[in-house]
Amino acid sequence: MNLRDGDAVPDPAPKPVPDSAPEPALEPAPEPVPESAPESVREPGLVPASVSEHAGSPAGSPAGSPVGVTASNGHGDGAVPGGPSDVGHAQRLHPFTFVVGAVRELIALIAAGATGLLVGGMSTAFHFTLVGLAFGLAFHVADWMTFTYVLYGDRIELRRALIGRSVKSIPRDRIRGVDISASPPHRILGLAAVDIDAGADGGEGTLNAVSRHEADRLRRVLLARDAPAPPRRVLARMRRRWYVYAPLSGAYLLTPFALAGSLLGTLYNLGDDLGLITRERVEGVGHDLVGLPTALVVALAILVLIAMPVMSVIVFTLFNWDFTVHERDGSLVAERGLLTRRSVSLERRRLRGVELADNPFERAAGVTRLGALITGLGDAAHRGRLLPAAPRPVAEALAARVVGTVPGPLTRHPPAARGRRVARAVALPLGLAALALVAGQPWVAAGFAAFAGPAVLLGLDRYRQLGHVTDGERLSVRSGSLRRRQVVVEHGAVVGWRIRRTLFQRRLGLATLFAAVGAGEGGYSAADMSEADAVSLAAGITPAWVTPFLEPPPDR
Amino acid sequence: MRCGHDLGDEGDGDGGDGGGAGPPRLRPPENRVSPRAVAHWAIEYLLLWGLAFGLALGVATWVGDSGWDDMPGWLTGRVGWLPYVVGAAGLLMVTVAPVWRYRVHRWEVSADVVYTRTGWFSREWLLVPVSRIQTVDTEQGWIERMLGLATIEVNTASHTGSSEVSGLPVDVATRLAEDLAHRAHDLRDDAT
Repeated sequence: MNLRDGDAVPDPAPKPVPDSAPEPALEPAPEPVPESAPESVREPGLVPASVSEHAGSPAGSPAGSPVGVTASNGHGDGAVPGGPSDVGHAQRLHPFTFVVGAVRELIALIAAGATGLLVGGMSTAFHFTLVGLAFGLAFHVADWMTFTYVLYGDRIELRRALIGRSVKSIPRDRIRGVDISASPPHRILGLAAVDIDAGADGGEGTLNAVSRHEADRLRRVLLARDAPAPPRRVLARMRRRWYVYAPLSGAYLLTPFALAGSLLGTLYNLGDDLGLITRERVEGVGHDLVGLPTALVVALAILVLIAMPVMSVIVFTLFNWDFTVHERDGSLVAERGLLTRRSVSLERRRLRGVELADNPFERAAGVTRLGALITGLGDAAHRGRLLPAAPRPVAEALAARVVGTVPGPLTRHPPAARGRRVARAVALPLGLAALALVAGQPWVAAGFAAFAGPAVLLGLDRYRQLGHVTDGERLSVRSGSLRRRQVVVEHGAVVGWRIRRTLFQRRLGLATLFAAVGAGEGGYSAADMSEADAVSLAAGITPAWVTPFLEPPPDR
Repeated sequence: MRCGHDLGDEGDGDGGDGGGAGPPRLRPPENRVSPRAVAHWAIEYLLLWGLAFGLALGVATWVGDSGWDDMPGWLTGRVGWLPYVVGAAGLLMVTVAPVWRYRVHRWEVSADVVYTRTGWFSREWLLVPVSRIQTVDTEQGWIERMLGLATIEVNTASHTGSSEVSGLPVDVATRLAEDLAHRAHDLRDDAT
């Protein structure tokens, strides 16, 4: 029995009441803010941004259009900013689209053609390359000619008629984000690619290349933003010296290897195709490598070790150059990237909380990463990022502006939890050691057992990091050591409670409390709280749901 | 119930907040599932562990017959135990787990919350407010059809916040599902 799809309804109350107050899902639009009002008036306030946003844009009342106001129930809002003439008018992508689309193929084909010329003169291979090139260009031109997009009051349609016909229709009230990105060829031509994300049930659409102006206009229109010059306030911006934090997070340290690997692979394939790589040569290289003096090998290793952090800073900078978070109407917009500039809009009314993550190195340096928990956001790990690396106070300040002050200090969990964390940490190495012992491999067993020492330390730290707190409006839970995460969620975002107690937990009087949240990973846990704490925390946040089921002891 | 009030402010007690009215506890939900659920779980476990036992037996005879030299001696010597271990574990599961589960599994639907307790070795208490329910499904597997039972699934926007009550008599499950669906529709707010 399908009641109703949760995302189908544009939710008129961005700050849901924690209690289950009956509330009509489809409300007639509130009084429109006078459209002629100066931007500064309409700009959402700092913390209760939702209020003015609420009034300003339930599903896109366009500038000066009475139709849009009366009929703005999420489906029927009639007109589109930029004039009603835009509605239903089929538009093509930018004429240079095929250039952008063909650039990659062009480079590959030109390279192949040039080598063909070098190796075999005007050989057949070269002619094939030319023909391929012509076909590629013709395909892109034909694709451009047959692809159109049409903006309607309630949906955008992407029509493709190259081979067969397809019409993809994306309802505008399902659109959760419009990402604009520009690769180097895009930038040279003054273009941008627009990605429309409508969540799981609306699908996705991509406009490969439109002018930057059109991209901005589309984003504004599709996210139901009015006014040509949207108010924009910068909430946070990367500082230069923060790029140096890159080596602290493990992921970027490994990028040099990934790069070197793919480079070698490409070279090998290319060489193989051209017949430059023979068995003798490979063996020769192998012999040369083995024959290298030890000193040289050590020097190379040191060079790689030095290169790793440097490369990681470079790669990190490429991806996150000038990382800026600003606020525009009801959205948070995160922009980043040096070569490919990427911007992601996150709707504020879908924001349920934030996540602060760090690892032990980052903790030692006082650095943390900030991410947003957004309802129905695909690829949230990348797209929900609000700060890739920043000093903790900065991240907390941004969190405070996005969801509200990070509550603290955290309540620690009872000492009984410590034993459980340690036991779980050492279980793996000791178990493996026991297996090895049974198998008659005492040395292997000793090796595994040696890991138990560090595992104890890890378990102790995992216990130290456990914590939970609420400040009356937001709940915060923290766990993990190698990847520590502190999650802050609004009380209203909690959609259920789950309390888990294993046999061992029951004996120790512990319980793990999961707050179910319809965003991020769907649930966040406070592991090994005392049983009473778990129940009273839930009861304190949503008394109406929990108190009817409480009883004086004893339970069992 | 009354102790719920002084627990209203949360998270201040740390472990031993034994003072006052005593620590707050959740009472068990009111309704048990149907006793036929014991049979359902027993059949399920029997099939599963029967399969595992068969596999173990197969592996043991196969390894014993093959007489490989490159297998370590400690493994070939002991592989004969495998079916016995699996069989004993299966027997324990089939006899103990269903009854244990029946004692733990309970459910209750109050005015605006679906409250369930499930599990056996590890127990879970789940509170799902009706206002956050997105879909309610009833399901019947073939064993359940034989026994006249049904499972009801209450889904919210979050997997963690979605509950499942198995072992309900069919008529109860159907009525409950319809009732919940109606009420969820009326109460729904869009916090997802």
